[in-house]
Amino acid sequence: MAKTIITRRDFLRAAAVTPFAGALGTCCADAASAAMGPVPVKGRGVGAPQSGSPGSRVVLVRDRNAVAADRKYNAEVIQKMLDDAVAALFNEKSPADAWKRIVKPGDTVGIKTNAWRQLPTGKEIEDAIKGRVLEAGVPAEKVAIADRGVLNNPIFQNATVLINARPARVHYWSGLGSCIKNYIQFVPKPSAYHGDACADLAAIWNLPHVKDKTKLNVQVMLTPLFHNIGPSGFNEKYLWPYQGLIVGQDVVAVDATAYRVIQAKRMQVFGEGQALETPAHHIALADTRHKLGTSDPGKIELIKLGWTDEILI
Amino acid sequence: MGAAQDSVAGRLSSFLPAEALGWKAEPEDAVYDRETIFEYIDGAGEVYRAYNFRQLLSRRFVKDGGPDLVIDIFDMGTSTDAFGIFSNDLEGEEAGLGQGSTYNSGLLAFWKGRYFVSLSVDRETEEAKTALFSLGRSIAAAIKQDGPKPALLTFLPPEFAAVKSVRYLHSHIILNRHFFVSHDDILSLGRAAGAVLSKPGKKGETGILLLVEYADPKTAAEARAGFAKTYLAGAKEPGIVQTEDGTWTAAILRGRILAVIFHSPSEEAARETLGKIKIEAK
Repeated sequence: MAKTIITRRDFLRAAAVTPFAGALGTCCADAASAAMGPVPVKGRGVGAPQSGSPGSRVVLVRDRNAVAADRKYNAEVIQKMLDDAVAALFNEKSPADAWKRIVKPGDTVGIKTNAWRQLPTGKEIEDAIKGRVLEAGVPAEKVAIADRGVLNNPIFQNATVLINARPARVHYWSGLGSCIKNYIQFVPKPSAYHGDACADLAAIWNLPHVKDKTKLNVQVMLTPLFHNIGPSGFNEKYLWPYQGLIVGQDVVAVDATAYRVIQAKRMQVFGEGQALETPAHHIALADTRHKLGTSDPGKIELIKLGWTDEILI
Repeated sequence: MGAAQDSVAGRLSSFLPAEALGWKAEPEDAVYDRETIFEYIDGAGEVYRAYNFRQLLSRRFVKDGGPDLVIDIFDMGTSTDAFGIFSNDLEGEEAGLGQGSTYNSGLLAFWKGRYFVSLSVDRETEEAKTALFSLGRSIAAAIKQDGPKPALLTFLPPEFAAVKSVRYLHSHIILNRHFFVSHDDILSLGRAAGAVLSKPGKKGETGILLLVEYADPKTAAEARAGFAKTYLAGAKEPGIVQTEDGTWTAAILRGRILAVIFHSPSEEAARETLGKIKIEAK
């Protein structure tokens, strides 16, 4: 097996997003190795919660029939994927019992979607989530689905629960269109959070109208966009029928897991020389700087369900 | 929109045709400036802002049964920044338009003078591709004046000067997109500085060369010192170090220009590359 070499570039990449960054030089290799954390786990990993509490548990569910060749989503398959994922996430036998741990009949629920024209979250995902919220007893008039405009939406203004769902796509500036980034519409001037490649997006999650309200994150990996070209960044050539959803309560763990999959895909297609594009350091900083969740794969319990071909994680 | 913006938008609009091969322009163009560009391309607008972007005019063309076609024409303020934003994405085949161009899967891009032009379809068809090239040729002909590339390019040794290898940039975030150095701006890149990155070969086997031009020698010296402290730590002699993967990184300062060779295969090759950079210290 080839020996893994930690270079000073690796160290500088890791050091900026770890709390114990020290000076480079005498301890470069050791520090870099430590900064990059334990090796990734497969299946149920170390640090797994002992109870039914999701903690940093993340569920990756895939079904090869989720998306047709013409990019049309299969609503029935997607509903089952979501149900299986949520049940596994909460260690419940039935999805209905799991959803009762996400929402209560008295809640007001905002489902934050993403309406990017070329690759939106998708009505099938939105409907799958909303259907289960309604079945859990939340009245229809207390549920809204929105992207832009959430700040002026009365349901979102009064929300007691937020559910966050967006498609994964690489992003010229932030590195990844992450679930963390999906909350940028909760601030009046999104560009105020663009500094240092969107390093502090996680600060949005600490704002009073958002803080501690998110009970579920769904990173839609049905057809992730793994490469940008052109001003919009979109081209069908770089959509990948991964046919997956990544679901969790810890948004940082969800994004870190999605990022690993996307990175692996880029490595597979482009090789090491173009593996990174823009590094999505906002995900690691959400952990180390903002304490929003867990980005270290060694501390994330990853549960994989369903189709495993080309899973890349 | 102010009168000045009207004037710029009018100029941009004057370069664009109203139709091609049955694709007809929609009645209204969209115009964006440095503040409003996020309404069009969200956070990706920062890439253009990092290149001194002034104004963008976007025109959509439609045709029954065909994919929508979009032309985005950017006024980048200077030809060096038009070249810079073009160099940010060099994938695809040479398309023979303007002062440099690429075509990749439904995206035709070129630069000419102070303008960067992107013509795209979400779904590539032969007919749409023909229309893209027809429109592109028309726009390139309408922009009468060429402009110079960044002067820094003239200092590149021949083996680092291939068109497909060279990027021009101002921001460490853009640098990291092409070659990761550090999340921090350890080279003090900023809007006042320009930099040329050259990465010949698929994996940069001959090394990766960076030239950075600062406003004055004092700033350049400070930048070199900061880079040496952070990146060249552990060097047995000043300015050159063997890194953990066995390759060599070296830096020299010439007046207000800092030259760095990364990933050189040997100490001798690193010194030889830097020795080829003929810049008079001022």
